[in-house]
Amino acid sequence: MIIDINFIGLIIASIMASAVPLILASCGELITERSGVLNLGVEGMMIIGAISGFALMTVTGSLIIAVLGAMIAGVLISTIFAFLTQTLITNHVATGLALTIFGIGISAMIGKNFVGIPGKEFPVLFEGLKDTIPLLSPILFGHSIVFYFAFALPFITSYFLKKTKIGLIVRAVGDSPESASNQGINVKFVRYACILYGGAMCGLAGAYLSMIYTPQWIENMTGGRGWIALALVVFSTWNPIKILIGAMIFGGLTIIQFHMQAIGVRIPVQFLTALPYIVTIIVLVVISRDSRKIRLSTPSSLGKSFHKDN
Amino acid sequence: MNTNLKISNVTKIYPGCIANDNVSLEFNSGKIYALLGENGAGKSTLVKILSGVIIPDEGSIYLNKNNLKLNSPLDAKKNDIGMVFQHFNLFETLSVFENLIIDSDEQRESLREKIEEIMRKYNFSIDLDIPVLNLSAGQKQKVEIIRCLIRNPKVLIMDEPTSVLTEQETSELFLSLKKFSEEGILIIYITHKLKEVMQLCDEVAVMRRGKLVSVSQIKNENLESLATKMVGQNLKTIKKKKASTSSDQLINITNLNFISEDPFETNLSDINFSVNRGECLGIAGISGNGQSELFQVLSGEILSDKNSIEFNKNYIGDLNPQERREYMVAFSPEDRLEQAAVPQMKIFENVALNNFKSSNFFNNGLINEKKIREHSKKIISDFNVNTDNIDLKSQFLSGGNLQKLIMGRELITSPDLLICFNPTWGLDVGAINYIHETLVNINEQNKSIILISTDTDELLKLSDKISVIHKGKLSKIMNSDEVTSEKLGILMGGGEID
Repeated sequence: MIIDINFIGLIIASIMASAVPLILASCGELITERSGVLNLGVEGMMIIGAISGFALMTVTGSLIIAVLGAMIAGVLISTIFAFLTQTLITNHVATGLALTIFGIGISAMIGKNFVGIPGKEFPVLFEGLKDTIPLLSPILFGHSIVFYFAFALPFITSYFLKKTKIGLIVRAVGDSPESASNQGINVKFVRYACILYGGAMCGLAGAYLSMIYTPQWIENMTGGRGWIALALVVFSTWNPIKILIGAMIFGGLTIIQFHMQAIGVRIPVQFLTALPYIVTIIVLVVISRDSRKIRLSTPSSLGKSFHKDN
Repeated sequence: MNTNLKISNVTKIYPGCIANDNVSLEFNSGKIYALLGENGAGKSTLVKILSGVIIPDEGSIYLNKNNLKLNSPLDAKKNDIGMVFQHFNLFETLSVFENLIIDSDEQRESLREKIEEIMRKYNFSIDLDIPVLNLSAGQKQKVEIIRCLIRNPKVLIMDEPTSVLTEQETSELFLSLKKFSEEGILIIYITHKLKEVMQLCDEVAVMRRGKLVSVSQIKNENLESLATKMVGQNLKTIKKKKASTSSDQLINITNLNFISEDPFETNLSDINFSVNRGECLGIAGISGNGQSELFQVLSGEILSDKNSIEFNKNYIGDLNPQERREYMVAFSPEDRLEQAAVPQMKIFENVALNNFKSSNFFNNGLINEKKIREHSKKIISDFNVNTDNIDLKSQFLSGGNLQKLIMGRELITSPDLLICFNPTWGLDVGAINYIHETLVNINEQNKSIILISTDTDELLKLSDKISVIHKGKLSKIMNSDEVTSEKLGILMGGGEID
């Protein structure tokens, strides 16, 4: 069998495409968690983003409104979480779980009218360059703007956390909200902002799924990607670059195991389906096993409520 | 320029307690002021008001005749009031440099120059690019001080700064503070340690139960007069009798090692010591040098090699705390509310917690509440716990009362050995006195004590033998009448003595 070199390029491109929603949601959640807030509502926020994007696209016909609307929907639903955990000081874990259940439920309700409606084609960039370089062209060119944004995001996030003043403040709040508050930092404001940002990224990740990756609405179409995104954040030890690696491995194995099933490899299907989850976690655990670095990058106050009393 | 700070009629009331009762004070730059008082006297509340962390119910604060509105720590900073808290306000996982620049709007490069200049000027040497959690307590405090100095403060408030420092670090700190004072920074020094007030300060204000008791010149005071003002009564001095020269060995530790997987714990290496009946062995050291690990190994929270701990001719190294209690060993851990007692449980429930086998608190798995209640009442009256209500949740007991309860719970079965870790940490003078008296009594009854403490004076007062722990290693064991706090200080800092 002769394998076309461009075919390999196409496979890599499809792996990258499947990694996009994971990268977006993980990088958003990473900022939230770095500020000390554990939001388990990623799955819920993604699915709200997915239905909002698809519904707005169908109703208004505008892709820009749809994408922005999905992000705003993510922000709105995360505002509920922020209000509950930061203002009413509820438990992060329970509130996050409730958010996911709420998101799945309400998206199914809104989505009833959108089942079976075909999506629109999303414009791609650099399409003209698609045949210029063998192997690399399909990887580099002809993708949506969200795709390029997603692959820049881990680097932007890393730069933001390490090099900017605001990034420093986010890390400080996650390390010790008490000290931050005594330094005059408004802990609640910072945490609100980080939660809302996380919501926006999850909304975008959802919109990518329903508008670009598989342009249609299917109930529960995030299919657990939110939970994988959460796991990526933890197993990457809050490092955006490792999130990129983890998302690629996960995406890669998901695609490859499909191909293996199609070819008819004699391995039980259940094992193949489980493979991406197992391998991703093993790889991330192995590359992050330095317990010193874990301690340094784990937000010490993660999941703990902070309330300033006078 | 001279700085004048005036506190005028400040009152702060918490439910059930007046933390500051109409306090008025005036400070001028060029002098070092002491604010002296026991725990709970209201000095921390007062300085938190000065630093904007707490907003007073009444009263005002004037800096150079300007009325300050301090509604947040930011306001204090803007008004050139710098504060070094007792519990550091540092971000452990951020680098020293990041900790220093977080509240500044200046460029990173110019700040780095400024910080390096400050460090040169005051002879501080700290690596700016390592995370704060790798620093010693003394270095962390310097980071806090630098953070204040960056802003050229007019007022610098130090809240109990020496509680985590060695003798040497303390004298370094005092030199720096004197230098700051000469340069015109007004220094307010909060402490309950009388010696430090006499050594460092020019004027002293004494607080007791939220009220200002006196303001006076140091030259008109001495240790006794200050102690009386602070406590409000004369304290009897506790005198330990000369050690009974018993050679009856009770506990013997040989070649005890502990290698931790957690990089932020200290490894213990090659610990060897023995304690005779009726003896108190003191273990000195700066906190974080392996005391907590040593306590856990001795108490059985961390198990070790069976033969490494020989107690009363039994090998108990691999037994858990409950099993060790059966051999009549008792424990008083450092953290009263987290390790020694369950805060949300009632006093009598806490009493029941650690006596399950030797007592008859439980019948066939059922709680014998009557018995436990009787027993608790006895502890409360025998050990002077200041409450009648054994149904009180233990989190509502003061530190002193809780420590007495814990000591009572441990001692009422009259164990052969008590292992305690910082038993008087954070207590007021009265409670400390009581605990010290109790410990002396234990020795007089020919029972033994291992006292792990960061308070050198306490160790010198109570121990027959002293060793110093530094980076998980014990120094040689010395007779306490041969050592001085200076010698201990050198050993605690990792130095050598002849």
